[in-house]
Amino acid sequence: MNAGEFLPAACAALAATSQAVWLVPLLPLLAAGAIGCRMLLRPQGDAAEPATASLASGSALAALVALIVFDLAAIGGCAPQHVLAGDWLRIGPVPVRLSFLLDAYSLPAATLVTLISTLTLRFSATYLHREAGFHRFHCGLALFLAGMLLIALAGNAVLTFVGWEIAGFSSWLLIGYAWQRPVATGNALLVFLTNRVGDAGFLLAIGLAVWSVGTLEWAWLDGDGTMATVTARLLAVGFVVAALVKSAQVPFTPWIARALEGPTPSSAVFYGSLMVHAGVFLLCRMQELLVQVPDLLALIAIAGLLSALYGTLCALVQSDVKSALVFSTVAQVGLMFLLCGLGQFALAAGWSAAHAGWRAYQFLLAPAFMHLVPHPAPPVPGWLAGRMWLYTATLQRFWIEALAHSLLTRPTLALGRDVRAFDERFIDPLVGAPRVDDHSPSGAADDLIRGHGLAGSALFAFANRLQRWESRLLMSGEDSALVRQLQRIVHYADTVETLLEQPRYLMLMVMATFVVIL
Amino acid sequence: MADVPWLSMLLALPLVGALTTACVRRAPWAQRLALASAGLTLLCSLCIVALFDSGDDGFQFIEQAAWIPGLNVSYLVGVDGLSVLFLPATALLFTAAIVAGWRSQGNAEAAGVAPGVHFALLFVLEAATLGVFCALDSLLFFFCWESTLAPIYFLVSLWGRGAGRQSAAVRYFLVMLAGGVPLLFGLLAAAFGQGGAGAPVFDLPSLLATPLPEAVQMLVFLLLLVGFGVKVPLVSLHTWLPSIALGAPAAVTALLVGLKLGAYGLIRFAIPLAPLAARELHWLLAGLGTLAMLYGSVAALAQSNLRGVLAYASLAHVGLVLLGLASFSVSALQGALLQLLNFSLAAGGGFLILSFLQRRSGSTDAAQLGQLFGRWPLLSAFFLLFGLAGIGLPGTSGFPGELLIIVAALHDHTGAGLAALFATVVGAAAFLAPYRAAFFGSGSASAKAQSESDPLADLLPRELAIALVFAALVLIVGVYPMPWLELLRPAAEAWVAGLAGL
Repeated sequence: MNAGEFLPAACAALAATSQAVWLVPLLPLLAAGAIGCRMLLRPQGDAAEPATASLASGSALAALVALIVFDLAAIGGCAPQHVLAGDWLRIGPVPVRLSFLLDAYSLPAATLVTLISTLTLRFSATYLHREAGFHRFHCGLALFLAGMLLIALAGNAVLTFVGWEIAGFSSWLLIGYAWQRPVATGNALLVFLTNRVGDAGFLLAIGLAVWSVGTLEWAWLDGDGTMATVTARLLAVGFVVAALVKSAQVPFTPWIARALEGPTPSSAVFYGSLMVHAGVFLLCRMQELLVQVPDLLALIAIAGLLSALYGTLCALVQSDVKSALVFSTVAQVGLMFLLCGLGQFALAAGWSAAHAGWRAYQFLLAPAFMHLVPHPAPPVPGWLAGRMWLYTATLQRFWIEALAHSLLTRPTLALGRDVRAFDERFIDPLVGAPRVDDHSPSGAADDLIRGHGLAGSALFAFANRLQRWESRLLMSGEDSALVRQLQRIVHYADTVETLLEQPRYLMLMVMATFVVIL
Repeated sequence: MADVPWLSMLLALPLVGALTTACVRRAPWAQRLALASAGLTLLCSLCIVALFDSGDDGFQFIEQAAWIPGLNVSYLVGVDGLSVLFLPATALLFTAAIVAGWRSQGNAEAAGVAPGVHFALLFVLEAATLGVFCALDSLLFFFCWESTLAPIYFLVSLWGRGAGRQSAAVRYFLVMLAGGVPLLFGLLAAAFGQGGAGAPVFDLPSLLATPLPEAVQMLVFLLLLVGFGVKVPLVSLHTWLPSIALGAPAAVTALLVGLKLGAYGLIRFAIPLAPLAARELHWLLAGLGTLAMLYGSVAALAQSNLRGVLAYASLAHVGLVLLGLASFSVSALQGALLQLLNFSLAAGGGFLILSFLQRRSGSTDAAQLGQLFGRWPLLSAFFLLFGLAGIGLPGTSGFPGELLIIVAALHDHTGAGLAALFATVVGAAAFLAPYRAAFFGSGSASAKAQSESDPLADLLPRELAIALVFAALVLIVGVYPMPWLELLRPAAEAWVAGLAGL
């Protein structure tokens, strides 16, 4: 066989193997499942560790090899751009396919993700040796790899979303790794919820895409050029919010500083190098759509610039290695967002790849940093230390978190308590139920039966009224019941008014108005 | 095979089980009989699904016999794509409930109740519930609907928990009885609404064939909405749910919350019987759904008891289902049905796990628990999985339904769709925050003392078996939802076409 025959044959074989790209995210997923099944049997001791470690890193390695083959095929021009592996479900007329993209963005991203994850998995097999959560950690990391590979390779928005949420959930798992510490689990919760806000944006965009574009495939999501700017803007906003949250850009930055509670290897891959770049990747993926909406691009650029400043300033005042690293990551990713906003998507993607590699190395080195660096960390620069207000703001991380807490978290929790009280004090008595703890003053022991709730009380009131009417035929007298009733109504109105004056109800009413209008 | 009366067999098997277990005096025999009977019912329901022709959009396995000829009431049963999957879900939940409640005779035994009575009541409830899903005659449906009340009353008041159980049972009984009145009147109005002097029409296929006059439709729809709304539950009629969730034995709670009869009733009767009224009042359905969704997810935030959390979360879920129904589209209906089936797995599984937890720690109050993850990691992991299915994480059975409903809602009721997105965030908080408190948190002394006095290992084999079956189904449906959705599709298309054709 000479070269002239060999090359086309090899090319066809490579193209055929590329059809199996669905295996790439599936392998780590299966590894996570297998480790999960192993955990059902509660493995203990040193002897159980190698099997788990090799399951995780073996699957990652297999995915890496497969990806390198696909890379070669793509370089040789043999790989198909778009691979279909059946339907997943169907939203009305729009099918959600198991489709994968093998293009210049997805393949390098997937290869890099797998490479860094493989190395990290190897690293953590030693780093977490004899830790109680050894298996849990590997399960979470394999799950994360599956999610990231889905994000990178997915050919449509729903599959990307699946990866997006799986990555978010595995970060919850790993931040809460040291579950005995309340700080760790609290931070895990906060991070997951912040990510969930971005996921809501993603879902919104998916819904709009189904109805306005009629497809969910990334390749056709930008429409046929006839899409109105308004539609394109609405569609893109959801994705952009999701990207901003995932990449911890202003104003969603605070979660990333909270996310460092996990073991160092997981911090390295999640927030140092891989997950934090998912937002940049998403922006690159939908660049055709974004360029139709210049004002949104400007917004992205501004958010990126602000995040870069924010990250730089905050990084200067951090006192521990991981926090300093993570804020400088935010700054770098902000610059990538700025590039995306300026339309330089390819540059941003290349930068994110280089940054991911370097940052993963730095994070993995972080535990040994004090060892490696003989001189103490440089002090806060004079221009910053001199300006007290700026210094304070930087130390407080510009109060974003406190603001979100008092504007969003606290009102929602208070609303929850109010709703509970409403149930217990209002609806329960209204529906009426003989409660064990019911010691109402009217409950005299000589009552044979007693009315409960609206229906029961109405019946009783009716009976009493009848009786009174009958007795009034016999004797009439001054009746102040009406006055008392009126006073009671005034009292209720007062209560309602004081409630309405509270900002959360005002906000609620505004929101309700919006819901009704829309 | 065609002439085997599958549905009658399905309904008869639990009744036979009820009779036999009630007669047995010795506990071990009652247990074996109960398990065999529940297993046979489950097998029978699986056979029905296997024999079901998924390409057909009409009713299958139809059986008809005269019941009250003078009133034109007949014993008419049949299933279509909308209802067929509820049969195995019901049978599975009951089997799990029987296995989970294996030895929990508790305080009723002290009261001198025979050991088999617990199982007998469960079987009567199972037969009635299956009847609700199979009945195609509106009076037969109503009969089955009301027959669920008596066994639930006795199950809750005899085997319930805490001082609140009696009042919870009474409250449930009264509220449901009150809800039955508009339901009955609605069904009667539909039966007599055709006008003319002819006999009332109770069988569903002929009711669907001849639409009612519009004024009657409005009346029928509103009456049925209230009647089913009590069971759904709609907000302001919902307070029986948390009290039942706290007072009832866990297995019964799993059944009550896991099987959304109210939403099924809306899909089967209320909307198809009154399509014009339903289309006109779509804003009411969507509004009630949005209200339930927001109310439930926000109220769940303030609950400290895990059972209360699940109860309010299920209120939020059923609100999402209502919102999906209000879209009147094929994909939203598929999503709503899939979401209903997901409850059976997620809420049912969650409450069963909580019953295991209750047996171990004596409490499900997050404020009294803590550090459970270290003691019972498997129990904690399974509860997490069911909770995640509840909040709709991709890869679990909660995601496809939620996606379909939200996408449809964003199109038809954009404001409500946005509210649903907000509810997904709050719902995640409402589950994970108490989860964190109960399973990771610091915990107090009382729960620890109790567990030390009665040290139980992590999940027992039979508990593990239940949890594994539910978990496997959650993952299978979540990873590959296509076949289930396709099974629902023809009937869903017929349902939507029936609405649109008017």
